[in-house]
Amino acid sequence: MRWYVARRLLWAVVATFVILSITWALLYVTEQQALTSIQFQAAVSGGDAEAARAAYEQQRGLDRPLWRQYADYMTNMATFNWGYSTSRGQPVTAAIADALPYTMMYSVPWTILTVAFGLSIGLYSATHQYSRFDYAATFLAFFGYAIPNFWFGIVLLVLFGVHLDLVPIVFDPDAPVFSLANARQLVLPVFVLTTGSIASLTRYTRAEALEYVEATFTKTAKAKGVSERRILLLHVLRPAAVPLSTILVADLLGLFIASSYLVEVVFGIPGLGQLSFKAIQNQDTPLVLATTLVGVFIAVVGNLLQDIAYTVLDPRIDYGDR
Amino acid sequence: MSLDSPRRRFEDIDWEAKRGIVLRRQTAGFLTTLAALALVFAFDYVREAPLFSPNPVLRDGWDLSQLDWLFVVSLALFVFYVLVPLATHRRMTAHYWREFRKNRAAVVSLGFLLLVFTLGLVGPLLVSKPQVELTQSYQPPVGLAVDSSVPLSCGGDVVDGRCHGSWQFPLGTTGDGKDILSLVVLGMRVSIRIGLITSFLIISIGATVGTVAAYVGGLVDEVLMRYVDIQQVFPSFLLYLLLIYLFGGSLLMFILVFGLLSWGGTARLVRSAALQRSEDEYVEVARCAGAGTGHVIRRHILPNVSGTVITNLTLLIPGLILFEAGLAFLSLGDPTIPSWGQTIAAGRSDLRTAWWISTVPGVFLFLTILAFNFVGDALRNALDPRSEGQR
Amino acid sequence: MSQHQRGATETQQELSLLSVRDLTVEFETDRGPLRAVDGVDFDVERGETVCLVGESGSGKTVTAETITKLIRMPPGRIVRGVAELDGRDLLSLSERDLRAIRGDRIAHVFQDPQHALNHCYTVGWQIREAIQVHEDVSDAAARERALTLLNQVGIPDATTRYDDYPHEFSGGMKQRIVVAMALAATPDLLIADEPTTALDVTIQAQLLDLLESIQTEYDMAILLITHDLGVVAELADRVVVLYAGKVMERGSVYEVFDTPAHPYTQVLFDCLPGRGRPLRSIGGTLPDLHDPPPGCRFASRCEYARKECHTGDQPPLYDVADAQTASCVYYGPGGDPDALRNGQSEGDPDG
Repeated sequence: MRWYVARRLLWAVVATFVILSITWALLYVTEQQALTSIQFQAAVSGGDAEAARAAYEQQRGLDRPLWRQYADYMTNMATFNWGYSTSRGQPVTAAIADALPYTMMYSVPWTILTVAFGLSIGLYSATHQYSRFDYAATFLAFFGYAIPNFWFGIVLLVLFGVHLDLVPIVFDPDAPVFSLANARQLVLPVFVLTTGSIASLTRYTRAEALEYVEATFTKTAKAKGVSERRILLLHVLRPAAVPLSTILVADLLGLFIASSYLVEVVFGIPGLGQLSFKAIQNQDTPLVLATTLVGVFIAVVGNLLQDIAYTVLDPRIDYGDR
Repeated sequence: MSLDSPRRRFEDIDWEAKRGIVLRRQTAGFLTTLAALALVFAFDYVREAPLFSPNPVLRDGWDLSQLDWLFVVSLALFVFYVLVPLATHRRMTAHYWREFRKNRAAVVSLGFLLLVFTLGLVGPLLVSKPQVELTQSYQPPVGLAVDSSVPLSCGGDVVDGRCHGSWQFPLGTTGDGKDILSLVVLGMRVSIRIGLITSFLIISIGATVGTVAAYVGGLVDEVLMRYVDIQQVFPSFLLYLLLIYLFGGSLLMFILVFGLLSWGGTARLVRSAALQRSEDEYVEVARCAGAGTGHVIRRHILPNVSGTVITNLTLLIPGLILFEAGLAFLSLGDPTIPSWGQTIAAGRSDLRTAWWISTVPGVFLFLTILAFNFVGDALRNALDPRSEGQR
Repeated sequence: MSQHQRGATETQQELSLLSVRDLTVEFETDRGPLRAVDGVDFDVERGETVCLVGESGSGKTVTAETITKLIRMPPGRIVRGVAELDGRDLLSLSERDLRAIRGDRIAHVFQDPQHALNHCYTVGWQIREAIQVHEDVSDAAARERALTLLNQVGIPDATTRYDDYPHEFSGGMKQRIVVAMALAATPDLLIADEPTTALDVTIQAQLLDLLESIQTEYDMAILLITHDLGVVAELADRVVVLYAGKVMERGSVYEVFDTPAHPYTQVLFDCLPGRGRPLRSIGGTLPDLHDPPPGCRFASRCEYARKECHTGDQPPLYDVADAQTASCVYYGPGGDPDALRNGQSEGDPDG
């Protein structure tokens, strides 16, 4: 098992390495394109194309040998020397450190609510199959999934912010983290995100739990005299947690990365998503690169955790297999 | 459950065995269409002129791009491998339809999707590309009225200082006077393009990789599946962001990025089905009778996983449509193609006064995603007997 | 009728361990309610083995699982009937009281050992759970008991295997563990639902031996559900034959094997190979339990069926011999049981 985890860890490092290399190659291609256009412009305006090229190369460090550029890039990435954000006037790492707390502020309650509600609604639906609650939960799941997050967000903002004046329209980044004001401005983003993500978790939990609610070992447990609640928690949820851990990480992570963009833009939360979005608008390359790579690393680490969770949760897994 | 026994039995029948001729005709039809398309494409490419340039209506909304070519190929695949088999195998179709019909919401949803599909296909012929016309701005939809101070000049009747919608713009207009109905219809094109082309990419790549991995095995299998591992980890959204930042956004890029990075699940599915089926008795029998690997894949493996693959697609496509709308909303999409997300973004700042601008495309987006979900759910019950009891 | 009266006086004289009366269970399906068990009566005395016999779909499992309400409700529904343990009706007990009975006084062993154990927990954990649910003992004490049980059911190296997961055991070993778990609280009645069907023949014999030995040791009654008449012959004291949710015949194992009374039992025994008669297969299929035809459930497949067999209700259980009863008009008033005996060979329950 330790060997298995070590191998997965190594695998995550390799995946990161591959992704960084691809990013470097992409950057290299665009810089070559930029170089061509600079040379072209210089030639058109009657200047010396060669001199323009040399100046640009010198400025960007493109005059170094290719392997050197690659090695420097990789070293910088590994040592968190991620460059300087021109649009923000601060190092990229500092900009990310500033933005991260705002992303955490809504994503932590969101994750907790999604897991709590998704699991409990799914479990209840599975044990009360075809009941009125089950149908209502299914409908709610469809509704939450189908309604576009960003549209729902702006509609709610107009309804509760403008017409009913219950929540602030403009996000106040200076509100203390644990204050009523902060809670009020986070209610809508968390609600919108939760309705969107609860759906898939509910559906999957229901399907997985249903399999174990009807399993023979659940009947064995019932025949032993084990209480309903204990059966649900220990004999149904525990085995269902194995496949669910996959969905939790894969689905929620994907949703998290994409939704954080939309929700932060709609609600004006100065988190990672908005940082990245503004970086794109401002053509701030180091910041764009860093914010997207942070997302990729979150995904890689999430998948690593998921693999490890799998081995911890399912005693049947064959470590030699993968 | 005793009730699923007729369904199981139905699934077990090897339909392909009895339709050798039909299948060949169908493949021939598809190949002929492809060849014809290739010819037209070559002609178009050599002449360096879009084929339909004389037609102003078509030219307006329909520039023949790489996207269109991909779309037409996908459409041909859809016609020859979904519609033709359904039309030739009446009994099978009737059976699936009976199962499908049990879910009434799904039937309504299918009707809605067919409408979206048809309108998206012929839409550019029916509506003109919406033009910026500031004098027509903020017209409310038919049956609704707003304070007449909102639109610059009311196109409909003004009663008691309230401007009523007119049939000239049944769904109203945006802040710069674009007809929302046209925007909605043109937005459907985006949805069906995403739906069909990504399906085409996912099915063709996923099925190929899956079967190759299962049949060649060994190192090839290992390499392909490890690659799928990496691909599944990598968030396509971020790659897309990086690409549009570096190269600029387009619908083609969106479809290629998400189509080329989303086939991992299908490949895994086809691979495991192929490994499992290759040990099944009837495949053994087919092998003993001298059937080649290609034959076994085409006739025995693909038909058996098609149910699951199609079901997965109906759940994947709405996610992509939603994604595209989100990106268009952030103006990270294709600025040249009118899409629902764009219109929602356009009406965002006018929500207090002209709420319909964002709401109309939002409702269409919502209904489309909802319809895909209902249809996917019903399809899973009709096509995939393994999910019995999980509905 | 007479049988019912006799049964009633018997219960008054001496309380049976388990006494099931008029048990009727329906299942809600897409095609309307399905009556899986219809008015089943039988008793289990202390320390004896009663076999519920019948082909698949006859309602054996539903009967057994309804006694402690293990069937899923809904779609299942107990229409009427009682299942009395020492005179106390289990079916009207609260879930809480029933839980105290499950595992403690009535234990179950199911057909499929592959899935009867939860794959996420060690076998030790699962046996300990069975002990600790009913008794407030320390983990260490429960572990000691569990190890004793594992030894008793013949798991080699119980101490080392205590912390193994179910997937590390073979099918036969898993079933032994399930039996150990069932014995955890020394029950008075063990309900074993086709415990050997999923196992190899040699393992089957071993498991049956195990059941026999623990029965003597624990002085426990066994309600054994099976369609294997060889198993019946080996273990049973008394036999209850079910067909399409109805009791066809009841009697001691000797009576039923020597002189099967009901035409259904007769054909059932003719299906057994090695009884010196050519094998007969039963023509036709089980009646549709959504809408059973009037009269005797077996009438459509019975070669002796008369006109009255196709009308009215299922015939009551008429006396045949000392403790043997059969639900067949030939044993009723004006019936001629000898008409059924033609060509019936002698059987030997141990044969």
